[in-house]
Amino acid sequence: MERSDVLVVGGGIIGCATAYYLAKAGAKVTVLEASENIGDGGSSRNGGGVRQSGRDPRELPLVMYGIKNLWPHLSEELSVDCEYHQDGNLRLGKNEKHRQILQGLTDRAVAVGLDVRMIDGDEVRKINPYLSDEVTVASWCPTDGHANPLTTTLGYYKSARALGVHFITAEPVNAIKKVRGKIVGVTTPDGDFEADTVVLAAGYASRPLAAGVGIDLPMQKRLIEALVTEAQPHMFDQMLGTAEADFYGHQTKHGSFVFGGSSGLEPFNTDDGRPVTSSLTAPCICRGIMKYFPDLADAKIVRTWAGWIDPSADGVPILGTVEENPGLILACGFTGHGFGIAPAVGDQLAKLITTGKTDVDLTPLHYSRFHAKI
Amino acid sequence: MKCNRYDLLVVGAGPAGLSAAIEAASHGLSVVVFDENARPGGQLFKQIHKFFGSKEHRAKIRGFRIGQQLLAEADEKGVQVVLNATVIGLYQDRELVVRIGDAIHHVKGDAILIATGASENMVTFPGWTLPGVMGAGAAQTMMNLYGVKPGKKVLMLGSGNVGLVVSFQLLQAGCEVVALVDAAPKIGGYGVHAAKVARCGVPFFLSHTIKKAEGDDHVTGVTIAQVDEHFQFIEGTEKHFDVDTICVAVGLSPMSQLLKMAGCEMEDNPKRGGQVPICDDHGRTSIPGIFVAGDVSGIEEASSAMIEGRMAGTAISEYLGYLDHEAEETEMDTLDHDLAGLRQGMFAPANRGKKITETEEGIPISTNLLTKGFVSDEEIERFPGVTHSKGIHPVMECTQNIPCNPCQDACMQHCIKIGDHITALPAVNPDSTCIGCGMCVASCPGQAIFLVNEDVGDGSAEVTIPYEFLPLPEKGTKGIALGRSGQKVCEAEVVGVRTAKAFDETHLLTMRVPKEYAGRARFFRRAEV
Amino acid sequence: MANDRSRDIGPFTEQPDDDMIICRCEEVTKGEIRRAVHEGMYTIPEIRRYLRCGMGLCQGQTCAKLVKGIVARELKVSPAELTPATSRAPMRPMEMHILAKEEEDGTI
Repeated sequence: MERSDVLVVGGGIIGCATAYYLAKAGAKVTVLEASENIGDGGSSRNGGGVRQSGRDPRELPLVMYGIKNLWPHLSEELSVDCEYHQDGNLRLGKNEKHRQILQGLTDRAVAVGLDVRMIDGDEVRKINPYLSDEVTVASWCPTDGHANPLTTTLGYYKSARALGVHFITAEPVNAIKKVRGKIVGVTTPDGDFEADTVVLAAGYASRPLAAGVGIDLPMQKRLIEALVTEAQPHMFDQMLGTAEADFYGHQTKHGSFVFGGSSGLEPFNTDDGRPVTSSLTAPCICRGIMKYFPDLADAKIVRTWAGWIDPSADGVPILGTVEENPGLILACGFTGHGFGIAPAVGDQLAKLITTGKTDVDLTPLHYSRFHAKI
Repeated sequence: MKCNRYDLLVVGAGPAGLSAAIEAASHGLSVVVFDENARPGGQLFKQIHKFFGSKEHRAKIRGFRIGQQLLAEADEKGVQVVLNATVIGLYQDRELVVRIGDAIHHVKGDAILIATGASENMVTFPGWTLPGVMGAGAAQTMMNLYGVKPGKKVLMLGSGNVGLVVSFQLLQAGCEVVALVDAAPKIGGYGVHAAKVARCGVPFFLSHTIKKAEGDDHVTGVTIAQVDEHFQFIEGTEKHFDVDTICVAVGLSPMSQLLKMAGCEMEDNPKRGGQVPICDDHGRTSIPGIFVAGDVSGIEEASSAMIEGRMAGTAISEYLGYLDHEAEETEMDTLDHDLAGLRQGMFAPANRGKKITETEEGIPISTNLLTKGFVSDEEIERFPGVTHSKGIHPVMECTQNIPCNPCQDACMQHCIKIGDHITALPAVNPDSTCIGCGMCVASCPGQAIFLVNEDVGDGSAEVTIPYEFLPLPEKGTKGIALGRSGQKVCEAEVVGVRTAKAFDETHLLTMRVPKEYAGRARFFRRAEV
Repeated sequence: MANDRSRDIGPFTEQPDDDMIICRCEEVTKGEIRRAVHEGMYTIPEIRRYLRCGMGLCQGQTCAKLVKGIVARELKVSPAELTPATSRAPMRPMEMHILAKEEEDGTI
């Protein structure tokens, strides 16, 4: 039996960042990861967006806090090249319906204090001359950007490990343990792990674990796909997305382009227990890319992959304390956009656990927000 | 999405894939074979040497001709072979996505056979990324498919059959092979393959490996050094060679990625060469409907790949109901027997890593052959193929138990006896009389049979050797005879050159040497002009 | 515990051939791979994600076995104990415009 101050369930970027900031604050932390690899879920499969625009106002303050305070010096902090670029995000539209979606998102973000504005096709192509004429409208947020999810996740892991955080992989948690009304740890096939606080950061796998202590988290598990090209000459530094959130990506420091996209069939894709790709999705993503960037038609695709996202019922994370279960902290339901917000989540949860206070109000993300519509 | 549909999709038109396709099509399945290369046949079309084995294994036929035979059979059975077809992935529900031309196709099969073969391993040493360092298989492709010499002076690393066979082919292509090097203490491949390289004068350095490749923008030299039993370099044993090419033949790895992508249970099995699917003896993987054959399920060679292909083709035919269970069992029994025949002898998979000190006949094996590449003049006398008698007679310098017997059938006079046990060493039948036809010489895939007349009357002897080099010396050409070690033993003159369709490009060169050298002269080199 | 990321694998010591390139496509050296192991990258996928080795045009066809051997030696385990990287389509790098063009009716 191992005893720590805090036990983190899930070795993705949320778990690793939380463990890192906790250890930095002096806590004794153990991280249990079910897979053989650190960061094996969405953390190593996402498009690398470090983005505020396009987000729900309830999570905007948290991601804005991270982009202001944490991302700019994260590479130095973690002694790893996070490849962070703050060169703006273009959220693209092709028609009136898209314009309306983008306008709504922009209005709501401006209300929270974000510097984001609507621009027309010509201005889009001044920012990114490679975009095709199909793009007629976009939202432009100059403080958005992108980073390398692989090195950032493993950077948090490496730095947390160096601070003494005990990581154990291939260690699936069977259940959260509750004694006399208080969370006291977890059980695994290898035995019990005890801690004063348990952070549940296991993506969709958080749902059955929380259910074990009587908390239902309305989340789904959905398989989405992305791909990467061979290295190309440098073209642009912005992060890209679309009004319908069906296409996103950027050019990496390495020169390759990482693009995610949708076939439209995602909710109905099947799998064999592994995050397998569908034969239909990559061709569809390629057609999507070529409509936006005809110049990339000859770029070679070197890899395609799939990963599960954990969409919550209202599309924003489930974060913070659970009053019915003292000692339990939730950090899940990131709905496919957990990467950019992860440093802020880790930082704020560490503060919440060690001081009981946070800089950003997490109340709008509390799990108790879910209600029936009538 | 509309799909093309077949009973069976085969990935890889090599010996395993084609054999499976032929077998399945002969039972009535609709079969398509995809191969990413412009030519079918896998590695067969660069195998210019004669294959070992027995008749059932297509022994003594050159690899590329076996490829031609398989293609003709596939065509006859209605198998569709699609070339320049790159399989992109093996998706759920037995779906392949294949690139053909400038588009992709979705193709579904009720069964899928993966026969993608293997790729070459690499070793690292300082300078290993310099141009001029290449896989032995790559060198073979350059020479035998594209007619390009990989270099002028070559060092070969690796003494398995690939390293030995390619070294000989490099010599045939007119390259100089400066050394054959292996970190292991003994030669890994067939002794007969080593012997034909050694008698051309190539030195073997066992317990040696490459310390560094030299050169700025391409290989200009190489330094090798001896290693101890822990494969650590021994100071002061360095040897330098000026070379422009370093060939690396250090094994193959199964190209099993498609199976892994599909979710087949895999294992890391060093005996099979790396990541392989877990499968039964007839190629059934853990996923129903997905089968494997050939090197992708474990590194062996083309002859066993062809049998494995037929086994998988049979199993698939039964799986899809084109063959009843009883017929399948009968067919499988024969194939099991054929495969077992190939997997015997000193080099059998079961004997890997074992130290063998004597032959099945109880004869101490040649230690020189294992370390220097040739049987010494003293050692050779103890083997049953080597006898002395009046008049012309065959001398079979076959000293290891390998599954191979074409020589026995080649001799119409029944001078050569192997018996039913295919790995037995060939022995001379004292009751038969050799007529010097030379069929045995040409039939031996190891080029280990010679015709010797120890005394032709004027103090000379005549030795007939297999010869596969161009230009062919003419009758009357003077030169020197080389011994098994590749060293000069005496002056020699070519007194006969025989070429026949039945010899299949193996020429028979008869040289006259002083009679005291009859037992030592084993290769001819023309005098420098 | 095999998956205990705090277990002692000994200190990182420099070796004379640390500057030798192992992954040619992405130009990753032996020293970088060895150092990454000591920084906690104990699995092949982590090494790939951290250093990009095996993620280039050849997708690790040449270096996968070499990297596995180096990581295993550093961890003092058998290479067979290390799970190799996932196989991902396309098996060969494929131009975007080709992957984008699906022949629906074309016979092969």
